[in-house]
Amino acid sequence: MTILDAFDRMMEHTARRIAQRSSRRGILARLGTALVGGAVLPLLPVDKTRAKLAHASEFAKTAQTTDPTKCNYWRHCASDGYLCSCCGGTVNVCPPGTYASPTSWIGTCINPDDGQAYLIAYQDCCGKDSCGMCFCLGTEGEMPSYRPELNNDIVWCFGAPSMVYHCSSQVLIGKA
Amino acid sequence: MRVYAMRFALLSIGAWLSGALVEAWAQPATPIPAQMPPQAALPTQEDHPTAVLPEPSPRWIYVLEPVFPYLVASKMWILDGDDLSIKGMVNGGYLPNAVLSHDKSRFWIAETYWSRGSRGTRTDVVTAWDTKTLDPLGEVILPNGRFLVVPKKHNATLSHDGRYLFSFNMDPAFSLSVVDVNEMKYLGELDTQGCSLAFATGTNSVASICPDGRFVHLTFDASGKLTKTELSEPWFDSQNDPVFEHAAVHRPSKRAFFISYDGWVYPVTLDGMPKVGERWKLQGPGDEEWRPGGWQLAAFHAASNRLFVTMHKGGKWTHKQAGDEVWVFDVAAKKRVHRLPLDHHSPTIAVSQDEKPLLFALTETAILMSYDTTTWQKKAERSALGISPWLLYTFGE
Repeated sequence: MTILDAFDRMMEHTARRIAQRSSRRGILARLGTALVGGAVLPLLPVDKTRAKLAHASEFAKTAQTTDPTKCNYWRHCASDGYLCSCCGGTVNVCPPGTYASPTSWIGTCINPDDGQAYLIAYQDCCGKDSCGMCFCLGTEGEMPSYRPELNNDIVWCFGAPSMVYHCSSQVLIGKA
Repeated sequence: MRVYAMRFALLSIGAWLSGALVEAWAQPATPIPAQMPPQAALPTQEDHPTAVLPEPSPRWIYVLEPVFPYLVASKMWILDGDDLSIKGMVNGGYLPNAVLSHDKSRFWIAETYWSRGSRGTRTDVVTAWDTKTLDPLGEVILPNGRFLVVPKKHNATLSHDGRYLFSFNMDPAFSLSVVDVNEMKYLGELDTQGCSLAFATGTNSVASICPDGRFVHLTFDASGKLTKTELSEPWFDSQNDPVFEHAAVHRPSKRAFFISYDGWVYPVTLDGMPKVGERWKLQGPGDEEWRPGGWQLAAFHAASNRLFVTMHKGGKWTHKQAGDEVWVFDVAAKKRVHRLPLDHHSPTIAVSQDEKPLLFALTETAILMSYDTTTWQKKAERSALGISPWLLYTFGE
């Protein structure tokens, strides 16, 4: 079993548990928020109602859209850790010599320029020790680790060649 | 390295020379003037032994530090709770969890290493430490890994009889690794059915929290084989008001208090299948702006029935905001009995389990404070305790 198979199984577990208390649409939204593995993502529908509910955002009120090295950059609403933008990467490019993780959880942030909610994949860059620059902690929509698909404390390097956390990226993957 | 070796050699020669000179000069020994008290004369030689600690006091505080900017170099500090002086320190591996023994003889650190620091072959291991000598006593390899996450106290725990250590594993399949710490032997994995964390419920049973707000309760035999898996009914709303992972747990009394984002307290008995009591709210009339929050945000002092919770003013999704105050509750009366404003806001607290307990509060800026809970006066404060101290442990909790 590859680690990505195991990851799929983990999310299946989570989905099954959640299924006992949610509508089907809600479950799919959660699965969608968990898997960012190449071709998997486009197949997953996203519950837009839910996303919009989740973004009743305090963060967006003071967010800016010009400087991704600051904690109040709009995509960082639920980012936890060292910003890859300060570590030789950007919001969606990993620093040299690190591995881009194929898995993550997904948050919903509002871009204050257009007032729209967007889905952000909080994928880690892995394989070197902590970058240590620009620590930020956003907690919008963040849940305890027994809801791993919505938790930002986890080392989201599943499926990467290394489980050593280096920095946090904030990859735009669609509109909520 | 060569420069270092040369410097060492020069220093050694220098020390020998200076020793010889002192000896030469000391021959016509100048007598100590009669008016100088004999105790004023410094000894000319002293030993250089290694300290050994006495049995840990319940008022000592163990501080786990993951060192966030240098995660491969964690450590655990041991301090005297009354004056916050350092008693000692041990090193740990990547994103460690600590577990203190019931008999105070040792503690264990579940940790992860790579053979070349941040790369190479990964090893997950439980290391046993002697609480007096702070020497490592041995280790047990965890062949299926462990959950790598910002350290959470309830990712590892000990069975009620102190024999089995449970280490939560999401690698990424969900399980609990079971280690017999008497025999220092890995027994195997218990499938948690997609549920997380470890709350011991007996000598051979343990519970985890499920994503839909249930407990899963696992029973195993002496070989570590799972013999029974039970699911509780959902007991909290994991969609809209989840409970924090850092429940206040007191192992000897088998009592735990889970606290939700909105401030509901769920009393739970951890004796066999967990039993959830009637919930009650931290905030009363006039407290609407206040919320629980932080990291290790709650502690329970069993003898006095007091629950301590870090509180801050904030709205929804401020669940990781550090507490400006610690609120103290009588859990029998379900009433607040004190509000303690903290000198520095703190996400993490702990309480000693002796008769006149100390309350410890730890900031995100490496400041540790100790308060006397009989007078509510601050007893001690220590700043620059490492770089990012994170979790607190006391013996007897």
